[in-house]
Amino acid sequence: MVDFELDAAQDAWLAEVRAFLTENVTPALRSELAEHGQELPDREVAAFRRRIGERGWFGLNWPSEYGGLGLGAVYQHLLMREFEYWGVPGPDLTVTSVAPMIMRHGTEQNKLEFLPPIARGELICAVGYSEPEAGTDLASLRTRAVQDGDEWVITGSKIWNSVANRATHEWLCVRTDPSAARHRGISVVMVPMNLPGIEIRPLYAWSGYRTNEVFFDAVRVPVGNLIGELNRGWTYITGALDLERGALTNAGDLRRALDDLTELAGRPRRDGSVPLQIAGFRRRLAQAEADVEAAMLMGYQAASLLESGVIPTVDVSVEKVFSSELRQRIADLAIDLLGPDGLLEYRSPGAPEDGKFERLYRVSPLMRFGGGTNEVLRDVIAQRGHGMPSYGR
Amino acid sequence: MLSALFAAECPISLVRELRDADPRSMPARLWKSLADAGVFGLLLPQEYGGAGGALSDLGIFCLEAGRGLCPTIVHGTVQAALAIQLLGGPDQHAAWLPSLADGKISATTCLWGPRNAAVTTPTLRVRAEAWGGWRLSGAVDFVADADLADHVVVSAAAPGERVMAFVVPLAAAGLWIDPLRLMGGHRTFRIGFDDVEVIDPAAVLDGADGAGLAEQDLRRVANAAVALLSLDLVGVGEAVLQRTVDYTMARKQFGRPIASFQAAQHLVANMHIALAAARLAAHSAVFCIGKGHTATRQTAIGRMHAATAAKLITLDAHQLHGGMGYVVETDLHLFSERARVLSTLGGGADVAATWLEDEA
Repeated sequence: MVDFELDAAQDAWLAEVRAFLTENVTPALRSELAEHGQELPDREVAAFRRRIGERGWFGLNWPSEYGGLGLGAVYQHLLMREFEYWGVPGPDLTVTSVAPMIMRHGTEQNKLEFLPPIARGELICAVGYSEPEAGTDLASLRTRAVQDGDEWVITGSKIWNSVANRATHEWLCVRTDPSAARHRGISVVMVPMNLPGIEIRPLYAWSGYRTNEVFFDAVRVPVGNLIGELNRGWTYITGALDLERGALTNAGDLRRALDDLTELAGRPRRDGSVPLQIAGFRRRLAQAEADVEAAMLMGYQAASLLESGVIPTVDVSVEKVFSSELRQRIADLAIDLLGPDGLLEYRSPGAPEDGKFERLYRVSPLMRFGGGTNEVLRDVIAQRGHGMPSYGR
Repeated sequence: MLSALFAAECPISLVRELRDADPRSMPARLWKSLADAGVFGLLLPQEYGGAGGALSDLGIFCLEAGRGLCPTIVHGTVQAALAIQLLGGPDQHAAWLPSLADGKISATTCLWGPRNAAVTTPTLRVRAEAWGGWRLSGAVDFVADADLADHVVVSAAAPGERVMAFVVPLAAAGLWIDPLRLMGGHRTFRIGFDDVEVIDPAAVLDGADGAGLAEQDLRRVANAAVALLSLDLVGVGEAVLQRTVDYTMARKQFGRPIASFQAAQHLVANMHIALAAARLAAHSAVFCIGKGHTATRQTAIGRMHAATAAKLITLDAHQLHGGMGYVVETDLHLFSERARVLSTLGGGADVAATWLEDEA
């Protein structure tokens, strides 16, 4: 059973995180985030990241033997929820997904080499799973690694590598045994981004964010950069995807969006009318309030389960589907509620909350298909949650 | 014929240019093709160079306009002609309809609330001058394409609750425009009137007896515009449904087209169902208005279904396209933006539901 109340230590932790954010989320950081998104080599963002690293917060739920603080998953969840609420970058997939996989499955050399710099915030991974022809059907990936002496030679391409342009490494999923069945010939290799033969091409999303396509042309990596055992990669990354889902969906951003929207609903629009005076909007805000609360509870529950050592596959699928669809409903409600004011473009003069909801409408499709499509996750819920038969995907 | 015209003269490159260029210019080639095809005079009386067609004919055009992402300055010009036709007398018709019918001038309209098209109370004020002219003052928000249009047809309140409308050149002295840039580069503007002078009696729309415009007539013009734009939304939905089906047939995962998965088929079926309701309801509204009715009930129902369908279809299309529809180079977002913008201006499903409540 989930404990619905934080204990005194967790309360104190939340207060510590909030104090850190109050002190370190400066107008300069805010302006750099608004100005560049995640695009440019960062100054304030990099400094902010270093300060998180100095506190050990990137490894906060790692065992102390790997430089971690040894705190539970609930602590991680509370921190990430708070960072999401503030709208600032916190622990990313490197910390929440890659590092735990290294701890669970990596060789001793992997752990010593990669975990300490991740904990310091110096090693940032782009997650190289999807390929143009291998999206939802990830096991059909074709990027190959062939051993040549004491090196892997990697050729292929990856897509939707959102942080590739500022990552130090690529956490790369490759085919190492072309003769094996689809899932069995896959391995994971850590590839430094500064090697010859790597080309990064930007792709721009409807949200305005940059993502990338990354090309590998006979890129040579030491054999020791193989993570764990050869041809065991599928097991590692499916576990990582569950962790990714749990980490990606903590509903902190939804709580913030609804708080901001509720505040805006009480203010006059350009034509002088006030949305909160309209019963239909009060009703829809109340529904959104109930939904955000449920999403928060789901995130908290997933963290509690993780803390007890379970990878809560079905629960994080539930949470991911629920919160991604809720995000889209809130974005839609926001523009309905604000009317034409809500259409005013992000960062254009006069836009309410700087056009945050106009952008949210464009951001919101992403998480319905990203990180495992909601259709596949509904299969997971029915099949793994209830033992219903697979229809043979 | 219209779809071929849009395919040839309204390529995505033109849509993008109008979306991104700043400042932008009139889509001259497309405009001329539409004028040559008789689109601007479709509805107007033959004596003024029009084809004397029915509002339903214009509805068919609007549906194709949505499919083809037609620039909204075309809609604005058609709406302005419709407003002058319905609100003006012989002098106003003779002065404006011939040049509107053959596409010599372009226009935009501001005769209803941008948030709620049922609000026909003007925000501008007008006063009569001793010398016989009029002066307009105040400001209006969210007027589409004021950077491109030659004229704006705008209503104003005269003393004694009299509502009048005026055809004002956007280059008039004392008139200023400020951009209100919307999602997807859709351009609307705040237009200010600092004692803008109207001298020409042919530019004044003042009702049959010269005692002001009847609310019912203004509402009919607003309803016509809303219903026609609902058909534009249906066109957006049709185009996106087709693109989505095509994509899912071509995209293979797990060794088969993703179109063969039941989850994908059900999303497509839901799009189809929403579109069927929207198409019927919007056509029905345009038909009723064309028959001379105000048709608020039908207009509301058409808008509720069209706004809901266009948003559902575009957002679920993103779901079925995945990353391939989310990157801007694949153009899907152009439809999604149009769906969200046109289903908001004048009122979406929430607002249109209140029109229905008021009818009951």
